[in-house]
Amino acid sequence: MIKGVLCAILVILCLSPLLAQEKIDLFGYYEAQYMGAKVKSNTYQLFTNKLRLDLKGQIADNITLAANINVLTYHGKTNWDVLEFLSDDIVSSIPEELRSLYVIPFENDIVLDNAYVRFRFKPFDLTVGKQQVSLGTGYVWNPTDVFNIKDPLDPTYEQPGHNALRGDVPLGSFHTATVLYSPEDNWRYSTKLLQFKGRMAHFDYYLIGVVRDWVFTDFTRFDAESMSFEATRERRQMLGASTAGELLGLGVWAEYAYNWMELSDDFYELVAGADYTFDFQTFVMVEYYRNTLGKSDYREYDLNDWMRYYAAEQKAISRDQLYAFAQHPVTDLLNLGLINITSFSDGSFAFVPTLFYSLSDNVEIYGYLNINFGKEGKAYSKSQGNGALIRVRVYF
Amino acid sequence: MITVSAFFLAGWLYCQELTGDEIIHKVNDTINMETSHTKSMMTIVTTSGSERTFTMETWSKGKGEKNLVRYLEPSRVKGQAVLMLNNADDIWMFFPRTQRVRKLATHAKKQKMQGSDFSYEDMGSGDAFIEDYDAQRLEDEMREGHDCFKLELTRKEGSDMSYSRLILWVIKDNFVPVIIDYYDDGDPSRLEKQLVQSDIRIIDGIPVAMKAVMFNKNDNTQTAMEFLEVKFNVELADSLFTERALKK
Repeated sequence: MIKGVLCAILVILCLSPLLAQEKIDLFGYYEAQYMGAKVKSNTYQLFTNKLRLDLKGQIADNITLAANINVLTYHGKTNWDVLEFLSDDIVSSIPEELRSLYVIPFENDIVLDNAYVRFRFKPFDLTVGKQQVSLGTGYVWNPTDVFNIKDPLDPTYEQPGHNALRGDVPLGSFHTATVLYSPEDNWRYSTKLLQFKGRMAHFDYYLIGVVRDWVFTDFTRFDAESMSFEATRERRQMLGASTAGELLGLGVWAEYAYNWMELSDDFYELVAGADYTFDFQTFVMVEYYRNTLGKSDYREYDLNDWMRYYAAEQKAISRDQLYAFAQHPVTDLLNLGLINITSFSDGSFAFVPTLFYSLSDNVEIYGYLNINFGKEGKAYSKSQGNGALIRVRVYF
Repeated sequence: MITVSAFFLAGWLYCQELTGDEIIHKVNDTINMETSHTKSMMTIVTTSGSERTFTMETWSKGKGEKNLVRYLEPSRVKGQAVLMLNNADDIWMFFPRTQRVRKLATHAKKQKMQGSDFSYEDMGSGDAFIEDYDAQRLEDEMREGHDCFKLELTRKEGSDMSYSRLILWVIKDNFVPVIIDYYDDGDPSRLEKQLVQSDIRIIDGIPVAMKAVMFNKNDNTQTAMEFLEVKFNVELADSLFTERALKK
C-alpha cells in the first residue's frame, strides 16, 4: 500500500514539468461511502474511502495521455460471508469444512485503473494501454459487453480499465469500424473484437463479433493444492448487435448477443428498453433482460449459480428480469427516484428508492435503500436482507 | 434634412410593412450564424438562493443545425460533452469517466441542462422558430427601453416542441429578441418561463445579447447565461460534429 502511494507520488513528480507547463490536467475525486445491511438478525456496516487521481494531457497535437490511480481503504465488515445470504438448503449442501471459503473480502488497494495513450491520425485513432471499454446500448445490462458487468443498483458507476490495443476507423461522419485486441498469456487466450457502428434514420446501430476466453469457476470443488476453487477455461465466441434511437417519441434501445461456448452450453442474452421524459420533468425508463445462462425455475438455483453471480462470472441468476426506474427533480438540486427490479422467472422483486443531491458545484450526495420482497431462495429474497448506501463525492 | 427625414420615414414604413413571418425570419438570421464558437458561463440561482456555476465551450454550424457543447468547469462535469444534430433531433452525450457515448431520444430535450432553467431544446433548436411555429405580428410595444416588434408564435400541428406558444419582443433596430415568454405545453395561457436578454454588443458586425437570464415561473428559479468569448463565421470542419470529436 505504502509502496503504491510512493509510486503515485513518483509519477506525479516525474510529470511535474508538464504540469507546470499546464500540458497535463490533474483532477479527480474523493469518495466516502457507507454501506449497511441487515441480514436476518445481523447488522453489518462497511465504510469505504476512495481517492481517484486523474491526469490527462495533450502531449502533442495528435497524442493524448490519460491515466488514473484509485486508492481504496475499507473499514468495518471487510469480509462478507456469502452463505449468510443463501437459503438454508443450499448452505446445508456444502461440507462443513469448506464453509469458511465462501467469503468476499474487501481489501485496501491502490490500483492503476486506466493508463493509455491515444494517437489521433487522420484516418484512425489508436489507443494503447489500460482503458475503459464500454460496449452496447443497454442501460443496466449489456449482452455485447464481455468486459464489464454493471451493478443493477448503480449502473452508471465507472468500470475498471482493460489492457487493450484499440483502433477506431471513422468511415464517413456516422460510421466507425473498431478493432480491439486485449492481450492475455498468448494469442489464443487473448480477446479479439471487431465492431461496426452505423446510423440509419434516427437510430445508431452496432454489429459486433468477439472471441474471448471465459472462466467458469466450480464453487463446489476446492483444490487444496492451489488453494482455490477449480475453474474451467473455455473459448467464448460471441456475435451481437445493438441499437438505440427513437420510436413514437420514446427513446428505445435493444441489444442481443449469441454466445457459442467451447465446453459448456451455448447461451444468448437480450435487452430491450425504452425511456421517456414528461413535460413535468419526470423521467421514466424500463429495461427487459433475458439471459439463458440464468434459470427459469428458482428451485434449480444452485451454489454455482449464486457464486458465479456474486463473483461476476454471469450477469443474472434468473432468466428474465425487468428493471424500471422513475426519477423526478423535486427541487433544482434534489432528484428522487425509485428503482424496481423484478425477476419474472421467480416472481421476486426489490424496490430501491434513490436520492441525488447537489451540495455544491463539486460535491454530490447519492444514496439508496435496497428492500427485497421475494421468498427465500429467490433472486431478490427477503432472506438476503435489506441494505442502504450513502455516498458523498467531492470533485477537484 | 429632407434626406434624413426620408430615410427615417422609409425605415418606419419598412417596419410597418414587415409581417410576423418576415420578422421571425430576420430574428432567426440574427441569432443563428452560419458558424460560431463561444465560451459561456451559466449561473443557476436555486430556490434556496445558492448558486451553481458552469463554464462551457460551444461550436455551432449551419445556423444552429449542428451544435457541440463541452463542459469546462466545474470538475464534476469537466469533459462531459453533448452533440446535437438536425436541430437537436439527434442528441448524443459523452461521459469521460466511462468513455461512454449515449444516444438520447428527442424527449431528452425537455430535460434541464445540468439542473438549470435552460432545457437542451432551449439551447440547441436551430431554426425551430421557423420550422415549428407559426408567427403572427401583434401591436408593437416598448420593452426594456427598446422599441420592439411583438410576435406570437403558435406551435405547428405535429411539432414536438415543448412550448405551446411563445411571445417575443424583438428590438426593431437589430432584430434581437429582448424578451421571450414560453407558455406551457398543455395550457397555452400559463407562462412557464421568461427569457430576458441584455448587454447587446456588435461582434463581427452582428448584434449579440451577451447576457440572457431565464426565469422559471413554476419553480421560482433563474439561470443566467453569459458569453465570455464569441466568434462568428469561423472555419469549422464537419468532422467536429461527429462522435469521434465528441470523445476528444
